[in-house]
Amino acid sequence: MNRPEKTYWQSLDQKRDGKAYRRRLLREYEESTRTPSQVSRRDFLAVMGASLALAGLAGCRRPVEKIIPYVAQPEEIIPGIANYYATTMPLGTSAYGLIVECHEGRPTKIEGNPHHPTTRGATDHLIQAAILGLYDPDRSGKVLHTGAEKTFDDFVAFWLEQYDTFINNKGEGLAILSESFASPTLARLKRQFQNTFPKAIWISHEPLDNEHIRQATERLAGKTLEPRYDFAKAGIILAVDSDFLYGEGDHLIAAADFASRRGTADAHGTMNRLYAVESAFTVTGSMADHRRPGVPNMIGNYVLAVATELKRRGKYPYDDLPGRLHGALDHAWLKAVVDDLVDAGPDGLILAGNRQPAWVHELIIKIQSGLGQVGSTVKYVRRNDVSYSRLSDLNRLVNNMRDGNVTTLVMLGGNPVYSAPKDFGFASALQKVTHSIHLSAYVDETSRLAEWHLPRAHFLESWGDAVAIDGTASVIQPMIAPLFDGHSDVELFSLLATGTAERAYDMVRTTWQDKIKNDFESGWRRILHDGINTTDGNTSEIVDFRPDANLDITIPMTTPTTDSLDVVYIPSALYDGRFANNGWLQEFPDPITKLAWDNAALVSAATADSLQVTNGDLVLLALKEHEVRLPIWICPGLAGNTVVLPLGYGRDTIGRVADGVGFDTYKVRLSDGMYIARGATLQKTGETYVMATTQDHNRMADRPIVREGTLTEYQEHPEFAKEMVEHPPLKSIYREHDYSTGYQWGMVIDLNKCIGCGACTIACQCENNIPIVGKEQVHHGREMHWVRIDRYFAGDENDPAIVHMPVPCQQCENAPCESVCPVAATVHDKEGLNNMTYNRCIGTRYCSNNCPYKVRRFNFFNYTSDMPEVVRMAQNPDVTVRFRGVMEKCTFCTQRISRAKIKANQDGRELVDGEVQTACQQACPTKAIAFGNINDADSHVTGLKRLPRNYALLGEFNTKPRTSYLAKLRNPHPLLERRAKKTGHDIDHG
Amino acid sequence: MSTEAPHIPTSPGAPPLVTGNQTFASVTENICRITERKTPPVWYLALGAAMSLLLVLFGSIGYLFWEGTGIWGLNNPVGWGWAIINFVWWVGIGHAGTLISAILFLLRQRWRTSINRFAEAMTLFAISCALIFPGIHVGRIWVAYWMFPIPNQMQMWPNFRSPLLWDVFAVSTYFAASLLFWFTGLIPDLATFRDRATSKIKKYIFGFLALGWRGGNRQWRHYELAYLILAGISTPLVLSVHSVVSTDFAISIIPGWHTTIFPPYFVAGAIFSGFAMVVTLTIIARKLFHLEDFITVNHLERMNKIILLTGSMVGYAYGMEFFIAWYSGNIYEQAVFLNRAFGQYAWAYWIMISCNVIVPQLFWFRKLRTSIPVMFIASLLINVGMWFERFVIVVTSLAQDFLPANWDYYRPTIWDISTFVGSFGLFFTLFLLFIRFLPMISITEVKAVLPQADPHQGGSHE
Repeated sequence: MNRPEKTYWQSLDQKRDGKAYRRRLLREYEESTRTPSQVSRRDFLAVMGASLALAGLAGCRRPVEKIIPYVAQPEEIIPGIANYYATTMPLGTSAYGLIVECHEGRPTKIEGNPHHPTTRGATDHLIQAAILGLYDPDRSGKVLHTGAEKTFDDFVAFWLEQYDTFINNKGEGLAILSESFASPTLARLKRQFQNTFPKAIWISHEPLDNEHIRQATERLAGKTLEPRYDFAKAGIILAVDSDFLYGEGDHLIAAADFASRRGTADAHGTMNRLYAVESAFTVTGSMADHRRPGVPNMIGNYVLAVATELKRRGKYPYDDLPGRLHGALDHAWLKAVVDDLVDAGPDGLILAGNRQPAWVHELIIKIQSGLGQVGSTVKYVRRNDVSYSRLSDLNRLVNNMRDGNVTTLVMLGGNPVYSAPKDFGFASALQKVTHSIHLSAYVDETSRLAEWHLPRAHFLESWGDAVAIDGTASVIQPMIAPLFDGHSDVELFSLLATGTAERAYDMVRTTWQDKIKNDFESGWRRILHDGINTTDGNTSEIVDFRPDANLDITIPMTTPTTDSLDVVYIPSALYDGRFANNGWLQEFPDPITKLAWDNAALVSAATADSLQVTNGDLVLLALKEHEVRLPIWICPGLAGNTVVLPLGYGRDTIGRVADGVGFDTYKVRLSDGMYIARGATLQKTGETYVMATTQDHNRMADRPIVREGTLTEYQEHPEFAKEMVEHPPLKSIYREHDYSTGYQWGMVIDLNKCIGCGACTIACQCENNIPIVGKEQVHHGREMHWVRIDRYFAGDENDPAIVHMPVPCQQCENAPCESVCPVAATVHDKEGLNNMTYNRCIGTRYCSNNCPYKVRRFNFFNYTSDMPEVVRMAQNPDVTVRFRGVMEKCTFCTQRISRAKIKANQDGRELVDGEVQTACQQACPTKAIAFGNINDADSHVTGLKRLPRNYALLGEFNTKPRTSYLAKLRNPHPLLERRAKKTGHDIDHG
Repeated sequence: MSTEAPHIPTSPGAPPLVTGNQTFASVTENICRITERKTPPVWYLALGAAMSLLLVLFGSIGYLFWEGTGIWGLNNPVGWGWAIINFVWWVGIGHAGTLISAILFLLRQRWRTSINRFAEAMTLFAISCALIFPGIHVGRIWVAYWMFPIPNQMQMWPNFRSPLLWDVFAVSTYFAASLLFWFTGLIPDLATFRDRATSKIKKYIFGFLALGWRGGNRQWRHYELAYLILAGISTPLVLSVHSVVSTDFAISIIPGWHTTIFPPYFVAGAIFSGFAMVVTLTIIARKLFHLEDFITVNHLERMNKIILLTGSMVGYAYGMEFFIAWYSGNIYEQAVFLNRAFGQYAWAYWIMISCNVIVPQLFWFRKLRTSIPVMFIASLLINVGMWFERFVIVVTSLAQDFLPANWDYYRPTIWDISTFVGSFGLFFTLFLLFIRFLPMISITEVKAVLPQADPHQGGSHE
């Protein structure tokens, strides 16, 4: 076809070549035809103005603020590179040596100091959470005088008046109530104070303490001593109502040493054996090979029975045992324990917990002596520079206050109005005191009743020092200037003692002049750097113990009934309540109950049945004339007719996090039963209360999840854990990825070492900026913890065993989450990491659905939007803060891997084994978590993966997890094991 | 050659497809009259109610956008809840329309003519409702478009291995094909409307929509060919859409989801629920608009037979799931099914079984399957049951999967409920607009099944 040439036109206007059209055309193309050089200054400014306006819009997501660079950059601070400093966290008479990671001058993460004997590089949940405590916006920043704001200078002026008065009368009417401490500087200042004011009273008080043990040593040896256990040496341990692994004493080293005797490398290794008799269900009890629930008041009888049996065998060389025992005791059990203890001799260890009365401790010390344990697995040490808490002192002080003998009371820390025994009537006695001064981090119950409130600096903001039970002294050095104008203990002590507010730094240095022998400046710098004093000038005296007093046995004659219950007071995730405003700790699931954001009256299932109560029933617990209203929570394995009360909750004045959470169990804590009380009654109110737990189902439902065997089974069938699941050959229909080169990250979690303490959970929360979500969200099952500890009960409901299983992302090589994500937001990298690209995630939650381990966490709301400005300083700058609608999960601390790789790259070398530690691994007190390159045949983690008890959780689905587990072993006494198998009782292995 | 359904002799004694002694003119008159007469007040009332519900939907979605998916009852093990249940349920309902139009057309089921338009419209509206949910259930709604393969500066494509992506394609294709099919079927009727239009505006609109239809022979030939081709295209889609939707579950590793029976089982369930919904709506419409001559009990009975068939298939699938769970020896699979029947969601399971398996068995009896009240209640119950089927599948498997430590209980919030209820607002609003402004029964196709359209009484020309 002959096609005429066509003219294409866009519109009739164009076709007609109209003027209007040309005008329009000009307008349309004018802008773009102008070359960049022709952009006028006006246009440029207009465009820039628009960009700025857009930048303002972008400010919805990123605040646009003036930032000022360092005028003179500090030499050691490189933006983006963390600095690490050593310091010490004091808690009561304990001292934890720490290394703190600081970014541009703000501390963001705490690790244990590997050189410090109380931490050895590990931490617990309380230490980890101290970072959040530092940035707590509810901490007090004001000096208050009868509620009105004053300055610290006003207080100093006030105190100087007081000082002059008391100088004249030698301190008559002056009283100091401090927390207990173990600190050379504080002790020096206390001595100085006592010299200045000889008639003044100085007492210390701690709500949770080991006073009963010291009372026992005082009676038996005439000296105040503390036990130092060596669990690394102990092959047989009988723990009597003791939570040495978690809640008492220097639990970090106890756990490390205990675990060192637990993780047998191969099938020929040996293990220690732990017997536990306890009234509460503790972390220690959960690790026991044999655990017995015991009524708290009757537990002494168990010890008596052990002593009697030992006596029969000539191993108890004293004649002070009563003839008749109250309460039945299982003879097979007794025989097994005593056999083991006798066989172990000096390598055995019997110990009792802080809750047990002094006479039980006396008996324990005598048994220890008889068996030769003293000096071997336990040493009794006298500590210098310590101020101990004594209940009788507090009683005396309160009496003096009530009688009007105290005109001025200075309370240095502590919160006695809240935590002192309620029968003392501290609050009413405080009204009789003319001037009361309270140094406290929060405007708390005591501050509100005191005349003066002084803000207390956090330990990360203050200079100070502390001394551990083995005599290691270390310096507390500040990481940051006080955020809220707080004042340190040393500062206050100095003001009290000398009348002048000296710099804490100078006071500490003065103390240490004696400790550093040669060149002070270089020695001082060395100590600040290392965190410990290697030229230790303060070794504790080791006293050869000679029991010479007769046993003062006060055996309870009654077993508890439903009308007269026994009560046990235990520390909670908030310790004694001082950490109540810490969101991480509030949301920290209790290792045993898995309750978060609450405490409850814990009772056994049988007791709950006989009291006709169930989970969430609000009850009125009455003890003498005191009572508290709180909910019931059933905890299997508690002693019958016993109520366990965690302390530290039920606040209403101290902060946004703590207020209104839980129930104040101090209301029923009285001086004659500080740890164990008798005669409580429980009454249903008919109301119910909702509690948030992170684990609703407590049984493993006969699934091979936590694989467990006995040591004997392991020796006979080393591969028992793998053989617990039969499955077809694991073949993928796809070509498998090649992971044979480069770094290939893998993790091994030794279930035999894991005690379930949860330090890893909080360490991870801190490292990875994991938000807290609050009780309601936890109740909805939306907690965000990247590594959770699953806790399962096994066996009989009234005498169950517990197993713990930390579950982080398993980093599956065949990750079910990856294939289902429609936008490829979760993908694998060459090093075997299952990565999460937050920017790409649109939040379908399909990955979480398809994760068999359910380790993925979804931001259902914008959990960080209402985070106060100051708390944002706690965030790790190396980790993205996630927005609403995004999935997140464990990354194997990919930022730490990157940091280490960059460093190795700069040095031109390969990473060495152990150079990258994940946060959970680093915090773990028992070294239950190993991490490293599984492509390196010599790495620690590869060695562990070769162990016969290594298994993959749900590995039969061919997910090929990079995280594997080492099966749990128990080491039961053969006699008891045979019996358990026969009756199906005792510990159930499954 | 005619591509219209060939004349299949109606067996003597079979009830006529259209009753009331209709002529071509009366058919046109009866159907057109519905849209041409003055709007009845009851329509306004109904539209008001539907739009109120639509506002509930908009409000719920607005709040969802503002606050985040946390307003729903989802939790850590249960990442999908009512949104996905509703999605699958609405998609399922959307199956009847195309099945009736396309598959029954190809199978020469002439009785479909009275109900196909109606069913197709219902399909479109149900899919519209369904499409809301995958869009709004994601965490970051403002980037939900990343599910589509849109070229971008990051050269980032969606993950083609993800069944969610398959969903996007399957459902959007189905919607597009259904829309075309529905519109093509409408063209001759739209031309009739244009010709009968009394106002200029109507004439203009219907004229535009009728695409210049004149009813000429060539047009008819092209039209019928196009219709046949579209029926051919739509037919596999009927089977594919719910098969693909079922892979959302079947591809996963979760016990109770990871099963090969899902595609046929989902398709059967979808047809089952779709027909139930058609029956429900048809009963109402024929009563309200006096269409008993066009939609006879005969039509309803045939649909009830399909309900009985697909219901029994679904029941078989339920049983087979249990058998396979036992036979597989997989303890997780076994536990999930025991949990379904006897666990924390047993109530939902037994609602599902009662409504989906027991209720359709009534239709074995001719008396019951021809009784309007019985079938009305049964169809409602079946839709309840099918919603619970999706609830049981989605929730019970997630709530109790592998590790008991993760187990939790899912309960919906008021926002889950309001979003679901609101989606009915959208459905009924669209439906009411449809029956007011468009022919709800295909005029041309009904005329084709009148006895007058077949003067040879089924006999051949030869």
